[in-house]
Amino acid sequence: MSNQDYYVPHGTYWPIIGSIGVSTLFVGFANQMHGVEWGGSVMGLGMAIIVFMLFGWLGTVVNESVNGMYNKQVDKSFRWGMSWFIFSEVMFFAAFFGALFYARILSVPWLGGADNNMFSGATEALETSKYIWEGFQATWPLINTPGAVGQSGVEFSSGFKLVDTWGLPALNTGLLLTSGVTLTYAHHALRKGHRNALVFWMLATIALGAAFLGFQIAEYGHAYHDGLKLTSGIYGSTFYLLTGFHGFHVTIGVIMLTVILYRIQKGHFDSDNHFAFEGVAWYWHFVDVVWLGLFVFVYWI
Amino acid sequence: MGYIVIAIIVVILFSLGSALIGMVKGGKEGSEKMFKSLRIRIGLSVFLFALLMFSGFMGWIEPNTTMLPTQ
Repeated sequence: MSNQDYYVPHGTYWPIIGSIGVSTLFVGFANQMHGVEWGGSVMGLGMAIIVFMLFGWLGTVVNESVNGMYNKQVDKSFRWGMSWFIFSEVMFFAAFFGALFYARILSVPWLGGADNNMFSGATEALETSKYIWEGFQATWPLINTPGAVGQSGVEFSSGFKLVDTWGLPALNTGLLLTSGVTLTYAHHALRKGHRNALVFWMLATIALGAAFLGFQIAEYGHAYHDGLKLTSGIYGSTFYLLTGFHGFHVTIGVIMLTVILYRIQKGHFDSDNHFAFEGVAWYWHFVDVVWLGLFVFVYWI
Repeated sequence: MGYIVIAIIVVILFSLGSALIGMVKGGKEGSEKMFKSLRIRIGLSVFLFALLMFSGFMGWIEPNTTMLPTQ
């Protein structure tokens, strides 16, 4: 293998198992949406098949890697694979941050009559009310979708107090940044070959990530109780989309860090050869930076 | 103040990107570059957080927590 330029993977059944898992999941999901009784359990079955596939397939890759079946070229392809995945992640969050900026800096002020635009039809401020929504005021955070009551027949809550920036959000930012620090110590320990320190800092990182998730659930409870919902105007929508998908990423990150800790226990890495750790570490730092961006732009600026 | 915060975020993103380049490069050199860049990124992030908290405490910036006018 090692003197070949191109790695030719052997035949495997894992892709078809993955396809069956994904199909089962979506058949279940579609039926669940139509209120079919068995929809939920079929979804669960599909998810179970996907998890089985992940364990089986990635386990095979790990075994092959540990047994020295991969050459430099495979290592390079893993690195490029990770960077393309990261590229898609960056684009994903860029789209949601973009939606937040667009709503806040452009579209909401336009609806309020800012600039000489087609909504206002005049240079005079607040002319919008004449053409689209009577008496619309461009405020931020905007929690009432103008005209939405008439369209959907749903009354939206209004006039709630946002979650206090000094409370849970600041605490959570502190927790996540601390997890970034502990992960950096773990990285350092791995590079120096200090095994016990590495395990300790990894455990600390995982614990901090889990604590973040717990507080995030608590914060959602508060926000929802105070009347901030996914339907609470463009602010509610972007708030839950950004923080929700971020929380989902933290969940995945905690799972990946746990897998890496398991592989550390198994002795899979040494100080020069630990790409899996590097990939997950970068991912965690990325998720950390996304949260910092959220904290700054949603809660502060 | 807002511009200082955004400038720090840009530098954080830059060091995160530099770490990514190190990761793709691989080997001893890439690994070194990655670790150093990540160290800069976490250091700056902690600094930014401390700066925000301190500025809020001193009243230089106001968080988005005002009571909203009802329509």
